[in-house]
Amino acid sequence: MSLVALLIIAFGGAFITYFSGKISPKLRNFFAVFVSLVLVAIIGLLYGKSPNVTLYPGFFGIPIILRLNMLSWFFAITIVGIGLLSIIYSLEYVKKEERLNYYYFTMLFINASMLGTVICGDLISFFIFWEIMSWSTYLLISYKGDRAIAAGFKYIIMSIIGSLAMLVAIISLYTRFDTLEITALASQMQTAPVDYTLFILILFSVAFVIINAFWPVHTWLPDAHAEAVSPFSSVLSAVLVRKGMYGLYLFMYVILGLNILNKLSAAIFSFNNVFCWIGAITIVFAALTALLKDDSKRILAWSTVGQGGYMILGVAFATALGMAGGTFHILNHCIYIALLFFVAGAIEHQTGGVRDLNSLGGLIKKMPVTFIGGLVGISGLIGVPLTNGFVSKWLIYKTLILEGYPFLAFAAFLGTWGTILYGYKFIHNIFLGQLPEKYKDVKEVPFSMQLPIILLTMMVLLFGILPGIPLKVVDAIGTSLGFESLNVSIWWGIASETGALNTINIFSAVLIAAIFVWLLFRSATKSVPVTQDDSYAASVHIPKDKYHYTAEFYNPLYRMIKPFLRDVIDEFYYWIAACVQRLCERVRHMYVGDVGYYVTYIILFLAFLIFVQLKWKPW
Amino acid sequence: MVTKVMQIILSPILALIVGVFFLGLARKIMARIHWRYGPPLVQPVIDMIRLFYQKSVSHGRMFDLGIILSLAGSIVVILFLPFGRICPLSNSGGLLVILYIMLLAPLGMALSAGQGANPNISIGISRKLILSLGYEVPLLLVLLAVMTRYKTISIVQVVNAQQNTGWSVFSFPLFLSGLSYFLILPAILGIRPFDVSSAPQEISSGPMVEYGGKYLALATIEHAFALFISIALFVNLFLGGGANPITFFIKMLVVFVLGICIHAVFPRFRIEQAIKYLWKWPTLLAFLGLIMTLVIRS
Repeated sequence: MSLVALLIIAFGGAFITYFSGKISPKLRNFFAVFVSLVLVAIIGLLYGKSPNVTLYPGFFGIPIILRLNMLSWFFAITIVGIGLLSIIYSLEYVKKEERLNYYYFTMLFINASMLGTVICGDLISFFIFWEIMSWSTYLLISYKGDRAIAAGFKYIIMSIIGSLAMLVAIISLYTRFDTLEITALASQMQTAPVDYTLFILILFSVAFVIINAFWPVHTWLPDAHAEAVSPFSSVLSAVLVRKGMYGLYLFMYVILGLNILNKLSAAIFSFNNVFCWIGAITIVFAALTALLKDDSKRILAWSTVGQGGYMILGVAFATALGMAGGTFHILNHCIYIALLFFVAGAIEHQTGGVRDLNSLGGLIKKMPVTFIGGLVGISGLIGVPLTNGFVSKWLIYKTLILEGYPFLAFAAFLGTWGTILYGYKFIHNIFLGQLPEKYKDVKEVPFSMQLPIILLTMMVLLFGILPGIPLKVVDAIGTSLGFESLNVSIWWGIASETGALNTINIFSAVLIAAIFVWLLFRSATKSVPVTQDDSYAASVHIPKDKYHYTAEFYNPLYRMIKPFLRDVIDEFYYWIAACVQRLCERVRHMYVGDVGYYVTYIILFLAFLIFVQLKWKPW
Repeated sequence: MVTKVMQIILSPILALIVGVFFLGLARKIMARIHWRYGPPLVQPVIDMIRLFYQKSVSHGRMFDLGIILSLAGSIVVILFLPFGRICPLSNSGGLLVILYIMLLAPLGMALSAGQGANPNISIGISRKLILSLGYEVPLLLVLLAVMTRYKTISIVQVVNAQQNTGWSVFSFPLFLSGLSYFLILPAILGIRPFDVSSAPQEISSGPMVEYGGKYLALATIEHAFALFISIALFVNLFLGGGANPITFFIKMLVVFVLGICIHAVFPRFRIEQAIKYLWKWPTLLAFLGLIMTLVIRS
């Protein structure tokens, strides 16, 4: 029954939080944190267990099944974990905003619905939770008004297209097999004809690829992530987008399984191969586009698009190593991107809403904790050794190279090098260089905002140095989906036959080398601290705010790559939208408000019907 | 165990000696090409010792930590690179790890210099990063060709395979990759015609401009290591490594002198020109090399 209780707490908690907000804001904040904490505790306790509940009669007589396995536990823990941290972060962040009851309610409600999607064991409740998730996300994206409403609208339209595709597939499955239970479907689909399987798979993929924001349906994500409230951007980017990955796991590996997937190929194209190339294009396109952006959250949003490419590269490749890499990358991305959105949010909060990278600078001394968080987060994003991103990327690269797909690996590498460029720009333009005069009094964020940043920073480093801990779970998921087990140990990293990765060795080498260099550094003559006025300007007065090279940081490169990076896809969607709008406008003109016209329409239509009947006699 | 510890201590020291020797040699050869006498070979050593005792300025904690991280990163890369038969950390992840740890040095330098609040530094770093994106495109294609050809990601196995089959720079598809690597080597080393990031006459040596005293000394050591790393990588991947440190060193010396000759006679590219060059011929060669490798493999 614990799963039912879990859902009741999750959804009920959201309502209780809302109504307690009517009594007092403090009580509401307490409930919001308390509910999220309880959810983390319950999911934590359920580790390794596999409860299974069937509720009769569920929806129109179709029973609702709740179940937990390793895969859904993995996603559930990221949902509740990031949920808790973003609620804690919100306490100070949204303090001055309006409609806070609504804010906390939607926040908790989205978490609850996401939890629902991963723990349900049949497709009808999956669809219901999925829809709740889409709608409540729309409500929270447009929370800030203005541009956020447009962004939310873009999201909901694309999301509805995906949902409709999914609904068609679900109805088709139900009419054919008369069941929507996942385990039952999994056995029935084994005997289904190949073209039907492909049809179902493509319909579901449309839904999941849209929510995952892979190229060419990435266009909703940058707007939505940039315009949402920062704590919610974290949730969006870290877990909500990755519900699409969960869906792909569910259909590609749980329901269909490797045997069937391998059959879905014609000549050199196979289903997985197409996904791999989508991933590769997504990586390169997103990385290069992010280079051109000057908005801190928009850069992170584009990086979310790009990192999704790595996940699908690993997962669609469908080898034990690739699977582990892709799955682990989902977790890693979740950790560092949440961290980075918290950092961007902290900057936004302390500087009065500034997200423009060209007008910031020199905040390292004012906000040291945020700086360390940002630095570690960016390192994780790049995949610098000893951060978690490195391990998962290493697994993915290794798979691609050893299986003989160097061009996919090349795309992945190129994306990483693009990430270095915009990652450094993020750090440099915000934290390094000259401090503008107007930010002289900026302070570090309050502790409740520091706490999530510190915790996530520690996790990035912990999972980078001891990747064995999360890889145990990742490995269990792999084996449950029918892949062979990797040789993972908590202390010694990965030791597969084709080459090992020993992060402890790397860590100790870096540590010892750094200590040695530090001693050398200490033993030399001590240095004198100086300011910019002292060294660069040689004590001559220089105008403030002018000596920080930020605007168009990579100008020569911009000029070269900009023409190639027009987002044609986005323009195409806008063109379709404009066409539809024009069409609707024309249709509207038929309704002139004069009864005479309407009578004419009816008579003309009847005349048409009579003509059809007389000519072809269809009725 | 004892030999391993000895190797761990020995290989950075050897690398330092070779790197600093190269720095001195470079100045000497350059001078001779320019019809000057040039400083003595040990001049970099003298400079370094002097710098450690000189006064210097600091711009904050990241300014200090960045340079330490940068040098530590270089030392760690050297532990992963086979130097003759010496390779203390050969089986901790292979070429992919090397490729990634090579990031630590420039990243540390960029973070350290970035706190210097000097626009010249920022311009220099932005150029350096653009240039690195420029040469990484062919470099990654080259490395992928090597890894695909030998079906391994371990650099030690690449070296061993060449002991049996001969140097890969003379084997069929890989000579294209080797040629490409040699063409981008000046860009990796940051020497002319690719010294855009440290252009002394334009942006006062870019990232180096705020460094003095011990910072400059550490940066010089880091530079020496960087020289060693990129040439040693070439020797390991294409010239069959070395049976012992002496032959390895001789191979490195030949490559380095060739590189310096290019350095001495070419004027500096603008950054756009550099990128255009890097993305044209070297990339084309590397691309062909990779395709050929794939064709042969299948």
